[in-house]
Amino acid sequence: MTLELQKPRPIWQIMFSTHHTDVGLLYLITSLTFLFLGGSLALGIRAELFYPGSQIIADSMTFNRIFTVHGTTLIFLFIIPFASAVGNYYVPIMVRYKDMAYPKLNAIAFWMIPPAGVLIWLGFADFTWYATPPYSIISAPGPAADMWIFGLKILGISSVLGALNFVVTILKCKHPDMSIGQIPLMAWAFLSSSLIIIVAIPTFAAALLMLLTDRLGVSGFFNPAMGGDPIAYAHLFWFTFHPEVYVLVIPAIGMMYEIIPRFSRKPIYSYNSGVFAFVMLSIVGFSSWAHHMYATGMSFTEKTVFMVGTLAAVPASAMHVFNFVATMWNGRIRFATPMMWAVGGIALFFSAGAGGVVNSAMPLDFTTHDTYWVVGHFHLFVMGTIAFGSIGYLYYMFPYVTGRMYNETWGKIHFVLSFIGTILVFFTQHVLGLYGMPRRIYDYPPIPEWIAMNQIATVGAMIIGISMAIFLANMIHSAGKGKPADTDDPFGLGGKYYYPFEAKNPSH
Amino acid sequence: MKFIFGFLLIIGVLVIVPAVDFAFAAGDEPGKYLDRRAVIWNLFYKMMTVAFTVGSVVSGTIIWQVWRFRESHPKAKPTSYEGTDW
Amino acid sequence: MSGHSNWPEWIYVAVVIALMAWVGAEAWEAERLVEHVPADAKTIIVTGQQWFWTFEHEDGTKEIGELHVEVGKAYKFEIVSTDVNHSFNIHDYVVLIDAIPGRVNTVWFAPDKVGEHDIQCREYCGLIHYNMRGTLYVTEPLS
Repeated sequence: MTLELQKPRPIWQIMFSTHHTDVGLLYLITSLTFLFLGGSLALGIRAELFYPGSQIIADSMTFNRIFTVHGTTLIFLFIIPFASAVGNYYVPIMVRYKDMAYPKLNAIAFWMIPPAGVLIWLGFADFTWYATPPYSIISAPGPAADMWIFGLKILGISSVLGALNFVVTILKCKHPDMSIGQIPLMAWAFLSSSLIIIVAIPTFAAALLMLLTDRLGVSGFFNPAMGGDPIAYAHLFWFTFHPEVYVLVIPAIGMMYEIIPRFSRKPIYSYNSGVFAFVMLSIVGFSSWAHHMYATGMSFTEKTVFMVGTLAAVPASAMHVFNFVATMWNGRIRFATPMMWAVGGIALFFSAGAGGVVNSAMPLDFTTHDTYWVVGHFHLFVMGTIAFGSIGYLYYMFPYVTGRMYNETWGKIHFVLSFIGTILVFFTQHVLGLYGMPRRIYDYPPIPEWIAMNQIATVGAMIIGISMAIFLANMIHSAGKGKPADTDDPFGLGGKYYYPFEAKNPSH
Repeated sequence: MKFIFGFLLIIGVLVIVPAVDFAFAAGDEPGKYLDRRAVIWNLFYKMMTVAFTVGSVVSGTIIWQVWRFRESHPKAKPTSYEGTDW
Repeated sequence: MSGHSNWPEWIYVAVVIALMAWVGAEAWEAERLVEHVPADAKTIIVTGQQWFWTFEHEDGTKEIGELHVEVGKAYKFEIVSTDVNHSFNIHDYVVLIDAIPGRVNTVWFAPDKVGEHDIQCREYCGLIHYNMRGTLYVTEPLS
């Protein structure tokens, strides 16, 4: 079962193709490009914070622009397109259809991403990925800010189109012999995350337009000088972007659901609880958005409601962890590179979730809000869980895509270095936050604890940087010169395991 | 079932009663003020205690599993699903 | 799920739900306590603007970048902003609330020891956000 690339073709044949694996390949290459671009900005940020005072970045404006583009790039131009890449490759196969439901729409959704990326990178805005008004209205320099707004607008349309395509493919184009209860959990993951996108994104799309007209001075939705309310933007933004957190994490969990049973040589412990947890997450994910806003002066009642909404999402996430652990139990696990990433991802997913529970407790916001605790917390999700699941899956699909095997030893070194680096950076940042260091600062006073912890974090970031260089070299080299893979069973696991819809635990 | 019920009951008594007690005991005498640092950091340390307890159970389980169920473990044996169509 | 019982998972989910209920109850209780402003707290109006803090005491005296308070008294901050969002933070006393233009947010504290503490801005507010700092001086009562 080979997915693509075995027969070399001229590049324009791939670029102008609407076939799902070709579009998937385009998504994949684009997202990895932005992973390395966004990641190098992170190294710049860490190098600057190694010591108080100016290190390698000349002024705070440049620094502010760098962390803004770092966040925007990795969330919108790496994580989401990467999930679309995997979905494009696998969802049609999983529901046994020849292609995506709307192939041309699929290609259009992809081709909206490069121009958006160009807008964001050429603009290099400075108002953080959150674009808070009134700063973004009255203070942020144009045209960078406007280019960011247009870039995000395009990306929003692109993800809605992609999501519609997934929903229709899964619900309407699945093979008539399959019931919805037989599609693999990863397809369920794409179904739930796509539904979240369709419900959540329009709110932010509206907010972006309002932000743009506010910037043009023709309206004052969020501008207090014209009678507007910046808190309204915060609600609109987080109504989209808290569910968006689940949009990011659910496909990664779905990828782990593909990897872990395979390499444990056992079916998933409970398919039903996996489905239930995905559906629960995508519903309950909408009840917690304002936990990002405790410090904006919300009333006690509002805070309580959103705290309860946040805590309500925890059991569903915990069910996934249980399912993974129970699946590995009594297995015969082969720790090839994809499995290592998946298991590392689960461990970090737990840590990130535990930190999230602590965040949701209202009074703790006084200590952690907008400090490095929060930075460490969400990076454990986006790096520790989502990127780990995604990179593991990339190793997993590599032989199917290229017909060649990646270098196993270097893959494992990549994992070990990244795991150590992730723990060094993001666990340290939690503690740094407890010492009170705010996020998004270019320079900090020479407090000894702050210096020490920033230096540990910087060293960790450099370790991740080295591991990613190894990753890049491994991918490029193996794609061209790797050992030809046995595409029926590239990991030597025995048994058939490509069509996971047939993988059902008979006792469940 | 009985066990779970009893367990929850004990937890309920241990946690809720002192909390409710505390809630109604908070007076409002002039000149004596609540120390917000104590309240907030106390909550934080309580939660960290629980988080690290749960975390050590979860990660201990995962680490043990990874060690015990690796295919190179001397006692590793094929799962009952191997060689079947699942 | 048909036929086969899934009791380990149900127990696990019940434990998670119980833990979350405990977290919620504890947090609710602590929040209720810290939100209760003492009746005799003195009001200080805090104005955040790019990129400094201004403090106005009840008697009308103003300070910029420095705040002097007395040990053993309760103070209520009324926080406003004149331009963009800021966040008023005295980390040592766990005081934090955003300064949002068009709104007045309140938070209170009662210093209990003489000393100096950092005041900082925790919400991104632009060019010199990193240096929007001040100092809190807790002094012996004068009278």
